[in-house]
Amino acid sequence: MLFNSYPFIFLFLPVALLGYFALGRLSNLFPVIWLALASLAFYAVSNWQFVPLLLASVAFNYLIGWLLIAGRLRAVLRLAVLTLGVTGDLVVLGIFKYAGFLAANYNAIFATNYMVEILLPVGISFYTFTQIAFLVDAYRGKVAHYRLPHYALFVTYFPHLIAGPILHHKDMIPQFERAETKRPDPHLILCGLIIFAIGLFKKTCLADGIQPLVALAFGPSPPSFDQAWIGALAYTFQLYFDFSGYSDMAIGISLMFGIFLPLNFNSPYKATSIIDFWRRWHMTLSRFLRDYLYISLGGNRHGSLARYVNLMVTMALGGLWHGAAWTFVIWGVLHGLYLCINHVWNNYGPAIAPRFERPARLAAFAVTFLSVVVAWVFFRAENVSSALSILAKMTDPTHIVFGRGEIVDTAFVIVYAALAWFAPNTQAIMGYDHEARTVGQGLDHWRLRPIFLYATAAVLAFGILGIQQHSEFIYFRF
Amino acid sequence: MSKPSKYLLQFLCASALIMLAAVALNFAVDPLQLFRPARFYQPMYSTDSRMQNAGLVRSQDFDTVFMGTSLAIHFKQSDIDRLLGVRSLKLAMTGSNSHEQSFVLATALERHPGRVIWQMDDWIFQDAPDVDHDAYLPAHLYRRDVEGVAGYLFSGAMARESLWMLARSIKPLEKTVARLTSGGLIKFPLPTVDEINSVRPDYDLSAAYNAKKTVASFTNITAPPRSAYLGFGYDYDAMVRNFERDAVGLIANNPDVKFDIYFPPYSILQFVAMRDASSPTLKIVYDFTAYAAKRLAQFPNASLYDFREVREITHDLSNYADVVHHSPAVDLKVLAMLAERKYLVDPADPTASLQRLKAQVEVYRLENVER
Repeated sequence: MLFNSYPFIFLFLPVALLGYFALGRLSNLFPVIWLALASLAFYAVSNWQFVPLLLASVAFNYLIGWLLIAGRLRAVLRLAVLTLGVTGDLVVLGIFKYAGFLAANYNAIFATNYMVEILLPVGISFYTFTQIAFLVDAYRGKVAHYRLPHYALFVTYFPHLIAGPILHHKDMIPQFERAETKRPDPHLILCGLIIFAIGLFKKTCLADGIQPLVALAFGPSPPSFDQAWIGALAYTFQLYFDFSGYSDMAIGISLMFGIFLPLNFNSPYKATSIIDFWRRWHMTLSRFLRDYLYISLGGNRHGSLARYVNLMVTMALGGLWHGAAWTFVIWGVLHGLYLCINHVWNNYGPAIAPRFERPARLAAFAVTFLSVVVAWVFFRAENVSSALSILAKMTDPTHIVFGRGEIVDTAFVIVYAALAWFAPNTQAIMGYDHEARTVGQGLDHWRLRPIFLYATAAVLAFGILGIQQHSEFIYFRF
Repeated sequence: MSKPSKYLLQFLCASALIMLAAVALNFAVDPLQLFRPARFYQPMYSTDSRMQNAGLVRSQDFDTVFMGTSLAIHFKQSDIDRLLGVRSLKLAMTGSNSHEQSFVLATALERHPGRVIWQMDDWIFQDAPDVDHDAYLPAHLYRRDVEGVAGYLFSGAMARESLWMLARSIKPLEKTVARLTSGGLIKFPLPTVDEINSVRPDYDLSAAYNAKKTVASFTNITAPPRSAYLGFGYDYDAMVRNFERDAVGLIANNPDVKFDIYFPPYSILQFVAMRDASSPTLKIVYDFTAYAAKRLAQFPNASLYDFREVREITHDLSNYADVVHHSPAVDLKVLAMLAERKYLVDPADPTASLQRLKAQVEVYRLENVER
């Protein structure tokens, strides 16, 4: 089921909310079970065949977690149990996500003709990572024992199940255990609705709106210089508004249930360095990769060279996590390279004189943004050769069309750029503070409150009116 | 009522009011002409045939319907009218299957046209979701049921198109808005029905259709592992079942309508590819053709034209963009052949043309093809 669909907005969400708060009057546990069941129903609507896999994954990881937390195992055995758990998760992920990729590469190398066609279970990358983090923390002794309904809800919680944010058990399960979240809070529901509205608008009006321009670069016809740039920039903004829109919707929906989700975006295109970019883009994934992959590989504890190698490995695997294709690996490697260059510059680059600080920041912003756009070309292209061909067009100003259509399209891209660069982001607008568990604090005393309410009501209306059939989120396929 | 509850109510009511205003606008302008032909504004049309057809079948005057896939998508209605002496409505849909085509034709037949010209590919009869589970065809819009009408009226994209059309109808704004109309962002950028999916005059035909591209396409589809896809979806029993349901069912239910069905002139390489890389698929195609030809011969209101044997077209690889899609010049030849009733399959010997095609495919040698 899609957040941007009538059945979700007008049927599923109201029923889930009503059931949650109605059961909240009876007990502190029933709403948790209700929400877990509602989440399974949400998943089953369009992915019913993968429900057993999801349930098996929850049961398997809960059992492994229980052995690590409650079982009095010797150190060697604990490591063996953890290895079993993580390997089990990665094998399942590998079969469903990477078998076709491996077969295609095998065919290419050995001129064979093996066909592997396995449907990718939606959300598998997200719920696998979420649970690997749980197992590793359980092994490290950082996890208290959780009850099965709370754990099951933590994994299946429908606002995040399909495309994140990647949740952390320490953040979520205590919130599920609190009795206060089971009582309806009109303030949180209103703030949740507004955040949901902003996300829906980003998705249905902005991301879906600019999607046709992406074909200028990535469509079947070879683009000119200007078309390649318009298409690449259009995709840059489409992806941002699509994914950050989804994340806003997830945060907004969760807030209606009284649960604060972590932020996933913080105006990434305003970044002035690649390090800064990764602190702002898909923040929960960055955090996961840092805590569970980069640090596990050794992080920066073994010198500069090892640090750069670890960065490259982490980013390449991060690329591969997005999809089983060389284009994603190259995208990850490129970002790894960018990060290494960024660290080298920070360590060995010249100090900027105070009077050049402003132009230097502007230059850093421009270089960062352009680097990100170049990498997105690999991320979006069908294959490596098309990506290289599009990049070649982007560097060949000898063939420029710039007709009426391209002028209008450029104007649209400029509007999107202005929104991404200069508009405040959702958390700034709403005063959303995940750590402090506060949102919309000033709303009651704000002089412009009526205008704000009507403007955001219009945003919700436009978001709903903008719903198109079958407009999936880009990150669903990862 | 607490303050937050009051704000929540204000917020929800304001949202509902704004949505209702958009509904009223969409109903008044009716950009798809679903409820009535455009009267007080200059209508515009979309290249998205699956959506646009839902309005065209309701608003246009026609006595002949033209149906097909991407092989019929570039035909111009004005050419069809001129060469066949009819008043046509083109409803061809790229990549359409037989369920979609039959459903759209059935909707159009409610307006009682006398003739259907149907470009028919064998692959459209492969198994496909029915129209209610088809992600691309707005079946409810064709039926004008509650779901279809609500989806149409509650559409922000339609409201944007409505405003755009209204702006274009205001004289002082007309030129500026026309200049700003971009096919990428506006769903209805075409001012006439004749321009729907027809080739633009400035389109470089020689770059799009040439022997080099045709041969490259042949090389691509016959190279392993891609060649495994040549037979993808081909299942004789399923194709016969869908043919009976979607084509025969429609013909039998409309005895007063004349169905002129034609198998389009694919390049010979389409069959040679199957011959060399997927012979079981070629056998299914031949068997299905024989079945369809024999079955259609039983209906007095159906005629079958088999243009796949027209050597002067199919052997000239410069006519194609790949192994099947022919150029607009061939569109005109097809219409001329239909007008002259050339390559009409004889109901007394419905498989004769198939035998001639088989002979051509058998003797065709790739050595003659310049790679």
